[in-house]
Amino acid sequence: MAEPPSPSRASGAARGPGDPPGILSQWIDEGRSLTRLGAFTLITLSTARLRFRENSRVMLPRIFGEIHRCGVRLLPIVGFLGVVLGIVFVGQMLSLMEQVGAGKFTGTLMVTVFLREMAPMTAGLVVLARVGTAAVIDLGTARALGEVEALEALGIDPIHYLVVPRVAGFAAAVAALSLYLLVVSLGSGYAFAYARGLKASPVEFLTQVAGAMSALDFPLLLLKTLMFGTLTGLVICYHGLARPLTLAEVGAATTRTVAVCVVGCLVIDAAFIVVYLLL
Amino acid sequence: MTPSDPTVVLETDALEVARSSSGEGARLGPLDWRVSRGELWAVAGPQGSGKTALLETLAGLLPAAGGGVRVCGRSVHGLGDDEAALRETRRRMGLVFDGEGRLFSGLDVAENLVLPRCYHQNEAPSEALAALEPLIRHLQLESLLSRSPASLGRSWSRRVALARCLALGPELLLLDNPLAGLDAVHLRWWKGFLAEALAGHPVFGGTPLAIIATTDAVRPYLALHPRFALVDGGQWRILPDVDSVLAVTGEDGLPQPL
Repeated sequence: MAEPPSPSRASGAARGPGDPPGILSQWIDEGRSLTRLGAFTLITLSTARLRFRENSRVMLPRIFGEIHRCGVRLLPIVGFLGVVLGIVFVGQMLSLMEQVGAGKFTGTLMVTVFLREMAPMTAGLVVLARVGTAAVIDLGTARALGEVEALEALGIDPIHYLVVPRVAGFAAAVAALSLYLLVVSLGSGYAFAYARGLKASPVEFLTQVAGAMSALDFPLLLLKTLMFGTLTGLVICYHGLARPLTLAEVGAATTRTVAVCVVGCLVIDAAFIVVYLLL
Repeated sequence: MTPSDPTVVLETDALEVARSSSGEGARLGPLDWRVSRGELWAVAGPQGSGKTALLETLAGLLPAAGGGVRVCGRSVHGLGDDEAALRETRRRMGLVFDGEGRLFSGLDVAENLVLPRCYHQNEAPSEALAALEPLIRHLQLESLLSRSPASLGRSWSRRVALARCLALGPELLLLDNPLAGLDAVHLRWWKGFLAEALAGHPVFGGTPLAIIATTDAVRPYLALHPRFALVDGGQWRILPDVDSVLAVTGEDGLPQPL
């Protein structure tokens, strides 16, 4: 696997050992890191495309294992979070809007806030927090202990064996958990508001939500969540694997991964707002 | 390089081992070297002399600073984007890393053993385990299959790493300091294994393997009648016989700085 110099080493030559990095050199480091992440993304996507059917008896169980680890095992926590978000946001919004006579805008509000924004972002952040950080530590430790070189020595492509299943697992998990979170939060929120005296029947509520959706909302939700998951998986694998690490650097790589993933998901989210405005 | 003798498994052509993983700067070499089936080479040198880097360069894990390596007639370096060819060449050699052999810590012993075969031959783990059963029995690993690598001692970890390499039926074995730190029982077993592999044991495919082993001390290898090379200070020397080896290393067999 390619071993580009670490950002700190790449730009740190001109600085004294105890000097803090300057703003300019930090930006240069970030730019180089993004360039390498882009190259890593292209390599991963081309490996996934070219070797999709190869070694299926090893790779399919690994992909399903990652989907289980990133998705199925998070169903309880995401379900609980959906109920809490439903009560806190959906339930209160429904009650308040009926009180001020704006009940006809309920569907628009639900679609805009929950379907387009809150469900994908929350699911992405939960997967990152619960699985992503552990994955960086796993991969970083394997890298630091030389297990990646051991894979290469056996003729096993680390991108194919380690990265592709994780990226596929994260993408599928964020997409599925977003939908699950959406259903649970809308259902629990409606139940909470109904218990507090909301007059709209379930059918009326669902009709309002469905009426506020455009034909492209679900395809765009799927695309957005797949992009969140893919980005998360790629950043995790990049920071865990692509650079030479020592055990002492694994912690720093983990926190950096979280920061890059959050910023990346917000950038994707902002880009999708433009798409939604054009609909 | 020109097409070579079919018994030659490894050829280097003015190979220069690099100082860094980027391939810049020569640390050792140039090496013009041929290793044939049934040959055991003991590459001796003090710690830090570049023995591990040499093995990793031969295996294609590190780029060469100059020259080239051919394994079974196929180049290890300079294949450009032909990753598939490089992987195929790597299947024909096995590298056992120093220390505990770098077993995959997330897999148990059985999963470590079957992984290369499952991956390359698209076999189910149960099929691969059945096919490897003679090898596992020969290496006395039956009772360890469900254990995690972390629970194994260094000697057994190294033997599992050896089995993992042998699972693909390599023609060339690269062993990084395989006899270091072994107790008497394991040392005897490894010497027996080396003798069997050089002779062509049926469990290892029936044909003699070519073996390159790095070492800090040459004495444990004397009974196996290997060929010796010394590395130190960036120099590479092939020594013709045991007397010339001991003349350089001293009677204790520990290489001195050249």
